[in-house]
Amino acid sequence: MADLYFSGVDVGSLSTDVSIIDHGGKVLSEIVIPTGVNGSEAAEQAFNAALKLADLTRDSITGITATGYGRASVAFATGKTTEISCHGVGAHHLFPKTGTVIDIGGQDSKVIQIDRQGRMLDFTMNDKCAAGTGRFLEVMANRLDLNLDELSSPLNIEGDSAPISSTCTVFAESEVISLLAKNTPRKEIVHGLQRSIVNRIWSMVTSIGIEGEVTLTGGVAHNKGLVALLEEKLGLTLNIPENPQTVGALGGAHIARRTYQNSLEADSI
Amino acid sequence: MLRFSKHEITINEIIKNMNIPDRSEYLKGLAQTGQKIMGVLPALYPRELLWAFDIHAAEIWDPPGEILHANAHLQTTICPVVKKSLEFILKEPQTINAGYLFPHTCDSLQNLGTQVKDLIGVSLPIYTFYNPKGRFNNTTIKYYQDILINFQSILEASHGPLEPEKLKAACVLSHKIDTYLMVIQQARMTDHLSLSNHEYFTLMRAQEYLLPQDYLSLLEQVNILEKPAEFSRARLMVSGILPPLPEILVFLDELGVSIVADDLLAVSRRIPKFAMDPPGSPLDYLTDRFFVLPPCSTRGGDLDERVHYLSNRLKESKAHGLLFDMVKFCEPELFDHRLLVKTFRERKTPVLTLETELEDHISGQDKTRIEAFTERLFEIVST
Amino acid sequence: MSIRAELKYKIMKDYGAPVLMAFQNVRRRKPRPTPAAFGSPLDSNQRLKEILSRHYFLSRYAPGVKKVAWVTSGAPVELLRAFDFYTIYPENHSALVGAKKQGADYCGIAEGDGFSQDLCSYARIDLGHMLSGKTPAGKLPKPDLLFCSNNICQTVLYWYKAIAHELDIPLIHFDAPFVTTEQTEADINYMAQQLQDMIPILERVSGRVFYLNIFEEILERSMETSKTWGAILDAMKAQPAPMTIFDAFGHLAPIVSLRGLPVAQDYYHILMDEINTRVTQGIGAISDERYRLIWDNIAIWYKVRFLATFFAERKMNFVTATYTNAWAETTGYLDVKDPWRSMAKTYGQIILNNNLKHRLDLMKGMIKTYAVDGMVMHSTRSCKPYSVGQFDLRKAITADLDLPAVILDADIADERVWSEQQIQTRLEAFCETLEGSKYG
Repeated sequence: MADLYFSGVDVGSLSTDVSIIDHGGKVLSEIVIPTGVNGSEAAEQAFNAALKLADLTRDSITGITATGYGRASVAFATGKTTEISCHGVGAHHLFPKTGTVIDIGGQDSKVIQIDRQGRMLDFTMNDKCAAGTGRFLEVMANRLDLNLDELSSPLNIEGDSAPISSTCTVFAESEVISLLAKNTPRKEIVHGLQRSIVNRIWSMVTSIGIEGEVTLTGGVAHNKGLVALLEEKLGLTLNIPENPQTVGALGGAHIARRTYQNSLEADSI
Repeated sequence: MLRFSKHEITINEIIKNMNIPDRSEYLKGLAQTGQKIMGVLPALYPRELLWAFDIHAAEIWDPPGEILHANAHLQTTICPVVKKSLEFILKEPQTINAGYLFPHTCDSLQNLGTQVKDLIGVSLPIYTFYNPKGRFNNTTIKYYQDILINFQSILEASHGPLEPEKLKAACVLSHKIDTYLMVIQQARMTDHLSLSNHEYFTLMRAQEYLLPQDYLSLLEQVNILEKPAEFSRARLMVSGILPPLPEILVFLDELGVSIVADDLLAVSRRIPKFAMDPPGSPLDYLTDRFFVLPPCSTRGGDLDERVHYLSNRLKESKAHGLLFDMVKFCEPELFDHRLLVKTFRERKTPVLTLETELEDHISGQDKTRIEAFTERLFEIVST
Repeated sequence: MSIRAELKYKIMKDYGAPVLMAFQNVRRRKPRPTPAAFGSPLDSNQRLKEILSRHYFLSRYAPGVKKVAWVTSGAPVELLRAFDFYTIYPENHSALVGAKKQGADYCGIAEGDGFSQDLCSYARIDLGHMLSGKTPAGKLPKPDLLFCSNNICQTVLYWYKAIAHELDIPLIHFDAPFVTTEQTEADINYMAQQLQDMIPILERVSGRVFYLNIFEEILERSMETSKTWGAILDAMKAQPAPMTIFDAFGHLAPIVSLRGLPVAQDYYHILMDEINTRVTQGIGAISDERYRLIWDNIAIWYKVRFLATFFAERKMNFVTATYTNAWAETTGYLDVKDPWRSMAKTYGQIILNNNLKHRLDLMKGMIKTYAVDGMVMHSTRSCKPYSVGQFDLRKAITADLDLPAVILDADIADERVWSEQQIQTRLEAFCETLEGSKYG
């Protein structure tokens, strides 16, 4: 079964991620680019870049799973699956003892419970409001005149934090404005924001319960201060993938691989 | 009884054949004939009494259109059913000519009734009807009869004396409709009905505005299959206030998910739990009917009873999962929701909760939720 | 009932509680200085604190001695008193949590367990307490019985149902039909019959027998207490008013949660005396009362001090409120000679169970008799029966009486629902209108 390759294309609201694996599940290339305004173009672009990096041609890819918000716009995909299943499968392949996946994505955050085979058992997503998502951090970074990297710098978690009580992005933003007007140090505001996100995530986690190891995926996993706060609140150590943003794409690639294998088995019956 | 057909007719044909008229067109037509029409808010009320006075009950649950004027009267944290109802009332639609009835369902509707009557003021009379709450016993039954009698005399004051024969006939009609609906529910659960999700709920919701005779003849046309249709699709039970938005129903159809049973306030919670004897004394019949309705959050019923009822329905319908379609800010439902979700999760029944503000379209996020949930259901179907 | 528990309860009641109170007085932080805008605080505050601390303190020794009941603020508690239940008022407890600005913490516990954030915060705090055992009152006993009435809202029924299920204990519900025009004979009979139906259940749960004469005594005491409370509120007609409504929010606790007990009856006589003295001597609650205001809806517990100061600094005093009035308004219907039916009238017609025409007339009357210059309405996320209709009430009142009014969007106990910037702006604009209308 040489020369079989599979790919997952995750078109998210903020970034488009592609992962290519071989038939044994080995990762050959991973790409993250901003989605911009056109999801299908971003998918095309990211996919080509991933092919190039893996030194493969388009014909050599046997199965491609599209996932993420823009999954319907990926014309070249052979199948589509929600990012919820994909994150479950991706996290399972990276950390096989994972029972719970926390994904903090651009537009939404979710907590996914999976079984020992990486199949989703249950999930919950944040409500309509974007607080507790990547988008929330982006809006706030703008407001604080910080870039996302600065916002993500590890902070002393014992430090003071300004109280941000609103659970809605719009209100939280106005709270930040009034804190700035009161000359509250930015560090404290950042700290308060992280705490408010962690509280949101925590209540989602408790609503679904923790099983097995917990893996954190999505770009927000780069935010060291937030990770530390979340670990403190949950009272455990999180599995953090090397590339937390491409876990969905990786899961997609594995689903494409599994679909192909299932079809072989079906044929042989 | 219902006609049984050996042939599966395509679903669109059924709706076309049934010729279910559009809600507002139908009511407009009726009003033009001089029919008395009363706008009725959710949810439980003695429709038979209204029919006996030749008053048609046109129910107001989720009238279409943007919420605009109602925002000047209600806070942002009030449920969309209440807001949309008020928006409708403020338009003073011509079709409603005999007043509005506010059954006592929840705090918000309770207040809306007096707000419209005592503060906003409309040109039509406002009626109210109290539904007893909590656990029921002989004291409750006695009181419910008193309420019925009071309501009757209130209607008599503006519509003339009640003709007992008419009330009797209304009860007979109501009993017939219930009987048909129970057969159809059963057929749905056992795959003896070849209607899409959307068509099924269009049929169920037509009772909100059709004259009872018209609704009855519609039900008579429903084809109950002799043998169950072959279904390998995922089966779903839905709970909440209203059926999911049409767009969701169609989406579920596309995904291959069939809603086989429901615990909706607008649908099954208004159909008796079990077959009732044909009406003898109207007063007793109406009283009995109220007390044999399925357990409901808005009546403040017992939680164990509700869990028990839902599990039975799930078992009977062989549903693979349970969808809670929650109306935003609906307190009675949201309180019960926590225990129901917990219980069924523990029993490993897949559960999905959606929250709706009765928008016209579903969000991308909800689509993802539904699709992910469906992926899970199909995992179960395939194993 | 164990003799040991009974002995312990008695010792705590007679010796433990007084020692604790004395200790608290010593330990008590230096009192916050009263801003210049306020007059000197009421002496009764001290007694009030003692009563409430003692009530919560003693509750932990109640199990084994008395059966514990959790009760809603509008429930006919007199009946429970006849069986000597130790009563805890979750609404009062939630308000306490809210006042300590811990509402969001407790709400979070309930939300984590699956209760929606859109539910009443009193309920969420209480459920958070039930699920975690947390309380700022040290420790609260688990209930043996729940007693609720939907005369304040349907919410309490949904809420108590959830507790009853979780703790597997009996729930007694007093169904009070909403009064859309006026109470019917059927409504009164229904409620009167329900009360009598409760007796065998209460006898079973409490292990005590019902004696009509004891019940009548309690009813008499409850009536008298409510009347004293009403007289205290009446005294606020004096100019300047001897206390602010924010004080009254605090002094409300005994009438809500200790109604029918001698301790509450005695307390209001103490308060009444002090208030009367102030009126005779012309002492006002704020140093310079220029404007008199009415408050509508439940307090914003986590912002009472902020609001009190904000208004006092502008020489504005709240002299009346629909909220505080609720425990005095319908007492007149009580009649010891006809206990069941008179209770049906008293408890069935309270403000939140009555139509909005009644509320409008009541508020207009209060505005006139208390010489009110402006109105502040708290539109609270938590309470639909109190809040749905407020927009039109405001419109009707401002139009008829030419009275400046403002609506504040907030919550009773969940401090996350508060946008200081917005509220501040709204309040300042309101004050400008008020100042302009009176002296402009």
